[in-house]
Amino acid sequence: MKRLLAILRGIVDELTDQNAYRRYLLAHGVVHSPDAWREFQDEHWQAKSRRGRCC
Amino acid sequence: MLRIVWALIAIAAAVSMGVIAQSQGEPVNSTWLVVASVCTYLIGYRFYAAFIAAKVMALDDTRATPAERLRDGHDFEPTNKWIVFGHHFAAIAGPGPLVGPTLAAQFGYLPGFLWIVVGCVLGGAIQDFVILFCSIRRDGKSLGQMAREEIGKVGGFTALITVLLIMIILLAVIGLVVVNTLKGSPWGTFTIAATMPTAIFMGLYLRYWRPGKVLEASLIGFVLIMAGIFGGQIVSQSPTLAPMFTYSGLALCFALIIYGFFASALPVWLLLAPRDYLSTFVKLGVVVMLGAGIIFLRPELQMPPFTRFTDGTGPIFAGKIFPFCFITIACGAVSGFHSLISSGTTPKLLGRERHALGVGYGSMLLESFVAVMALIAAASLHPGVYFAVNSPAGIVGATPAAAVATISNWGFPVSTTEMATLAQGVGEQSLFYRTGGAPSLALGMAQIFVQTGGGQAVMAFWYHFAIMFEVLFILTTLDAGTRVGRFMLQDLLGHVSPKFKQTNWLPGMLGTSAVIVAAWGYFLYQGVLDPLGGINSLWPLFGIANQLLAAVALCVATTILLKMHRLKYVWITCMPLVWLVVVCFTAGWQKIFSPLPAIGFLAQADALAAGVQGPTTATLIFNARLDAAVTGVFLFLVALILVDSIRVWMGILNGSTSSKTTETPFVPTKLAEEL
Repeated sequence: MKRLLAILRGIVDELTDQNAYRRYLLAHGVVHSPDAWREFQDEHWQAKSRRGRCC
Repeated sequence: MLRIVWALIAIAAAVSMGVIAQSQGEPVNSTWLVVASVCTYLIGYRFYAAFIAAKVMALDDTRATPAERLRDGHDFEPTNKWIVFGHHFAAIAGPGPLVGPTLAAQFGYLPGFLWIVVGCVLGGAIQDFVILFCSIRRDGKSLGQMAREEIGKVGGFTALITVLLIMIILLAVIGLVVVNTLKGSPWGTFTIAATMPTAIFMGLYLRYWRPGKVLEASLIGFVLIMAGIFGGQIVSQSPTLAPMFTYSGLALCFALIIYGFFASALPVWLLLAPRDYLSTFVKLGVVVMLGAGIIFLRPELQMPPFTRFTDGTGPIFAGKIFPFCFITIACGAVSGFHSLISSGTTPKLLGRERHALGVGYGSMLLESFVAVMALIAAASLHPGVYFAVNSPAGIVGATPAAAVATISNWGFPVSTTEMATLAQGVGEQSLFYRTGGAPSLALGMAQIFVQTGGGQAVMAFWYHFAIMFEVLFILTTLDAGTRVGRFMLQDLLGHVSPKFKQTNWLPGMLGTSAVIVAAWGYFLYQGVLDPLGGINSLWPLFGIANQLLAAVALCVATTILLKMHRLKYVWITCMPLVWLVVVCFTAGWQKIFSPLPAIGFLAQADALAAGVQGPTTATLIFNARLDAAVTGVFLFLVALILVDSIRVWMGILNGSTSSKTTETPFVPTKLAEEL
């Protein structure tokens, strides 16, 4: 049950970009701040919006 | 013990299929379809896919994946397999598996059901799985890159152009579904209009007020769109407000074109990103609700297994069961678009090679099950109602009385009173001529949801909830697709003038956005103008294009298998490839050259030219010829890739072409933990 909840939490974090944001913070060696989020958002969505999406 | 379990699953699949096949004259319970499909998926996954994983691909968990070797904290990151599964499923599941099966129900529920299940297990899931595997072994390369490297430059360039053209047709056809859903519906139009300020509010909330709080913003957004549904009811009942949100198809068409332009040009964080979050959660929530509703309520299918329209005279789209059933249902059975996802983000996240089985093959099985549920929802409607909602006025008659007379004469009794009561029950002025599949699917879903409680009193709410879900979903695809098309065009034009590659260069951004929007906008406009409802022309065009992209992906996969010296296993990709080529080329040929105006674009143009000339006749003739040309271009491009691939295959087999694969060399994994 605990594992199932952890997986569900992980999927929600993936779909809400929290996993990607955590990786971004780690990779850039910065902590969460409004500016860090905005920079992440710009970079992440710039790449994401280039990718095809299914019908 | 395990063998007994699998034997029982196989028996359950066989018995369910048998019951479905035998129940010719009486309604069949949807449980049989659920059991038959789930058991077939399990057998396909456990035996066929596992065999391919072990014998053909030789998936190796000791081999480091690109996510590990190229780990950069951005694109490449080893991720838990269930999280990748969720990500991959959310990316592949679009409106296609909902709309296609709903439209194909005009043949009866059986052809669509069999194609969804068999097509997925032997074709669609194989394509997704094999392309994912190929991409993992090639540093997460895209389909276009693999086509260029494995087949040649012609293959790579053709794949790029094919994708761009498919994108344009896709955006037009889903735009048409939105237009046909919202025309003359103040409730629906208000609800959807309300999602735009909601998304912008969420964008500002996430950007300035609560940066990073995506789940919180999504929950607020969900509450606001729910409020929008209730607001829509108030608007629809107000004599002052209702006319302000009641539009014709043409007006909605232009509104959508303008919206598409702004959605593509606006900063991504303001509209696209928040709408995407919201749409993903609503989509997953509704899929779970629909699944639970069908499994627990077990609705009976009212549609017969086969209808008289297998002969090609269908009112929703013309053409015989072969090949048109197989191109009408693409997503859910075989979808070429999935190959772009399987060679996009997913291969960059898989931490173990064997996870490709569950993510690539398993996700497609789940999408196929979504398609089965959509088919059940549509087939649980009374056939008379289904045809009254989905048939265009040009086929069944321009008045409700004429429409019910035509449909009743076909053997599907329906009355104007029944349709009026139904429309009143869901808060609409009329449910006639709502082509495109979305309104009938919403009706089917609402009929299932009301049985969970509340009765007919909440029918209108569930209907508009389903409409909101479908349109929100489609608009998100429309926003994102327009932007992707814009970037692809900028990349192409960048070869002529490097300035275009700068995505923040305003003239380039506005110009390419305008070109892409104008391209799909024109096809949308022609669909709205079409007296046969547009779906008859555009949906087959989209289906052909999507399946042809699958053929391109399977050409790449076959080439790679040959280079891996897996000649005795190439039937795995060749079997669906041959089927798709035969289906698509037959359908494409018929769409261009059939002497029947309802099917052949050229015959349609000739019939229009010979008939009474109205103010739009010249445009309709041009449109029919344009559609014929577009179909011809699709067939030509794929024939080019096919011939090029066969040249490479022959070369590999007779030794004149190098069979050197571009697979990255083996590097042992250092990941200790189980992902």
